[in-house]
Amino acid sequence: MNNSSVSYLESRKLVKRWSGPIPALVNTIVILAFFYATWWIFQDPRGLMRMYTPYVGYMVCRWLLILFIWVAYIFDFWPFKRSWLKNTHPLIKGAVLTLVSVAAMVILIKGFFVEILGNFGIAYFDPARLEAMGITDFYSIEYAAEAIMMFAAIASWLSPSWVVACENAPWQKLDQPARGITIAVVTFFLSMIVYFLTMHSHMAILFYPWQKFTAICPPYWEQFANTVSGNFHIAWIMCCTVVVWLFETIWERYPFNLIKNNALRRTTSFFGIIAIAVCLCFFLYYAQDLVWGETIRGTRRLMAPDWRWLHVGEMAIFWLVPSLYLAFYCNNWPTKFSRPVNVCIRTLLSAAMAAVVYIIYYKTSHLFLGTQKGFSHPQQFPMIPMIWLINIFLINFWFMDGWPGWKAVPKTEVELEEIKEEVVAHDVKWTPGLAKGLAVGLCVGVLFYFALISILPWIGDNFTIIK
Amino acid sequence: MSNEKKSISRRDFVKGAATGLVVGAFASMGVYSYTSSAYNRLPKIERKMQDFGACRSVRVTNISETSWFNNAHLIGDIHEAGGLLVNQYTLNWAPFANGKGSAKGSYDEGIGSIKELLPNDLQKAWEIQKKLALHPENPGGYSCLLEVEALDGTIHKYLLDTGWSYEWMENSFKREGIDKMLEEQQIEALFISHEHWDHFWGLPVTVKYDNRIPLYVHDGFYKEGLQYIKDCGYKGEMTVVDKPITEIIPGMALLKFDVPIINRVFGETSLAFNIKDKGLLLISGCCHQGILKFADFAHANLKYDNDRFYGIYGGLHISPFEDWDPKYDDLVISLGQWGFERIGCNHCTGHLTAKKFIESGYPVVRGTARFRSASKDYLGNGDKISFGC
Repeated sequence: MNNSSVSYLESRKLVKRWSGPIPALVNTIVILAFFYATWWIFQDPRGLMRMYTPYVGYMVCRWLLILFIWVAYIFDFWPFKRSWLKNTHPLIKGAVLTLVSVAAMVILIKGFFVEILGNFGIAYFDPARLEAMGITDFYSIEYAAEAIMMFAAIASWLSPSWVVACENAPWQKLDQPARGITIAVVTFFLSMIVYFLTMHSHMAILFYPWQKFTAICPPYWEQFANTVSGNFHIAWIMCCTVVVWLFETIWERYPFNLIKNNALRRTTSFFGIIAIAVCLCFFLYYAQDLVWGETIRGTRRLMAPDWRWLHVGEMAIFWLVPSLYLAFYCNNWPTKFSRPVNVCIRTLLSAAMAAVVYIIYYKTSHLFLGTQKGFSHPQQFPMIPMIWLINIFLINFWFMDGWPGWKAVPKTEVELEEIKEEVVAHDVKWTPGLAKGLAVGLCVGVLFYFALISILPWIGDNFTIIK
Repeated sequence: MSNEKKSISRRDFVKGAATGLVVGAFASMGVYSYTSSAYNRLPKIERKMQDFGACRSVRVTNISETSWFNNAHLIGDIHEAGGLLVNQYTLNWAPFANGKGSAKGSYDEGIGSIKELLPNDLQKAWEIQKKLALHPENPGGYSCLLEVEALDGTIHKYLLDTGWSYEWMENSFKREGIDKMLEEQQIEALFISHEHWDHFWGLPVTVKYDNRIPLYVHDGFYKEGLQYIKDCGYKGEMTVVDKPITEIIPGMALLKFDVPIINRVFGETSLAFNIKDKGLLLISGCCHQGILKFADFAHANLKYDNDRFYGIYGGLHISPFEDWDPKYDDLVISLGQWGFERIGCNHCTGHLTAKKFIESGYPVVRGTARFRSASKDYLGNGDKISFGC
């Protein structure tokens, strides 16, 4: 096996430039500085470009994320040559790959969504059309940006899912760019179907009277979700997006990689991610009801079901940040135990860290990000800064090989063989001990859940994050 | 050998247990969280039923509900400045404009140009500001007069909010005789619902006629807002409302909501009344907390006649820019279930919302569309509504 037969990200080994925690600390400082500088330039409502209107900024964040995923995961950096990736300085590589992604994003948003889809298909993708029909320019742009952004939200679940869960099947043997184009087109098409099923009705309701002849209004989810808002779908779709990456990073594709049959493993992984995401989604919604009290349909902000569904997605994103940090910059710590124990510890640790990030965000974001104080301001979307930060993680880790704390070296033959073996995990086998442990663990997991939901009302009564 | 077996078995047990823990927790989340039994666990809300007395009636005179005259100009200015989170004092609107353009306004520079003229020479102050401000003809303002009849027949008068444009509010006050009421100190207090430009920035107009009128503001006011109260020439007793419920007179209470609002404003106060034999009346400036949250809070905390929701008046902040969102339909669909008998809405409720309320058959009191109010779908400038009379 040579290292051109695996993806660039799999072919490289990142080696620390300094010992101990210094690389992680240095990268953290560099990333946060870059985050804050770029936030100020592009997003901050007090800054230079002020794209956080919020949907324009949100759309950019989301599509950048997708483009990064396409460049690194779907197209495996095609058309850039492997030799260029190996030999170019990380700063130049990071800048070039980021700018290429930005250019592709602009072409996609302006060219495809606004000019083609907006002019020849669905009017609400083109702000100029909305404005010409009498909607103020601000809301014309916001509505169009929301629609384009939601498309990206769906794609940011489906695109990586095809690589991570479906292992690129059935096109895994195609060369680039055939494989990249095929997967991008297929996931784009699937995103469009999911968009029509989940968000088109939401968009139709924005325009009075409801566009009943072109969308299902009131939508089919109204009774179940207790709202006509598409935020219900944002909740589970965002959870899917997050779970894909948990599955890929801190879970090391466990437990579905225990399945040896390729088709069964891929199918189970794809739908398993959705199932886990739905579990997470329901829990995060319920957790809010336990802390803040039950929703009242028709209310606004904190007590509204539509906002609580949105906040499910926001909370999920708060979990993704420490998970990726753990995987990228802490070498997926811990690694010394067996895979299931490592996964369990990382899950608990990253969830606890997510709670810390959540608290810090709400206590301080209005001071340094220029957002509004409070949980549920209609223009308060913590997903935007969190995804902005994740985008910078990805630029740093995927495009810059973790520079300056790390450098990329080629993997050895043995290490490349290990990757191949990783597709199906071999370190967990069915034994009576495992079965017994599993039964006990399940009981403990159930108890853990009930302990958690018992403590949440108490937390709600006794802790105030925002004063 | 036996030790090795034991060790392997223990290792497998731990592997299984670690897997089971995560799987068990996620499975429980999915199976239980969104079920009726999970919701049966939620504690039942104990109603506090705070008795705040009763009044006989409340009459509302709409001094001005038109906060601005052109949506495109207002939202365009906000858009140009960087969106709905930009600090309102930097938007470069009168009376805090400095002539430097969008998003380059400054409280200190703006007030510096007119401070010496406040509160007595408002015409000159506004003329100066009109030369510096973006869209100087756009400001209007929200303000209403509340006449509360006590059970003994005494009439108590209050102002809710004081509008925005000095020019427009002066004319509106004169039209409704508010200037004289203030001069004669007939009006017992001014409640500022929240710090937004269209409810608060016209404060010098009230202060001009009565600079000692008791004033109530939310404790979320920023330092610029608190300084403006001083810079207006206000000399009276100001109450910074920091309690959820403040009783004003029997049957009338000020409720405080800590809610984040656009352009950096934080917090809204609204009024609740117990109308004898009728029930609960809710009056708001913009109701950023949401009318149903307002009602729910009152339901959980206050005691009112017949345990019944009776009336609504004010801005309900649903489609102020004639924008829309599916969540607003949640309100339109749900409001009917709350049983309000008389709905007087205007201002940031939005014409689109009023249309939808009317289409849904809700008891919306229509207006006369006078004095530049744009539609008869809701109560316009100079219109009156009575509750309990």
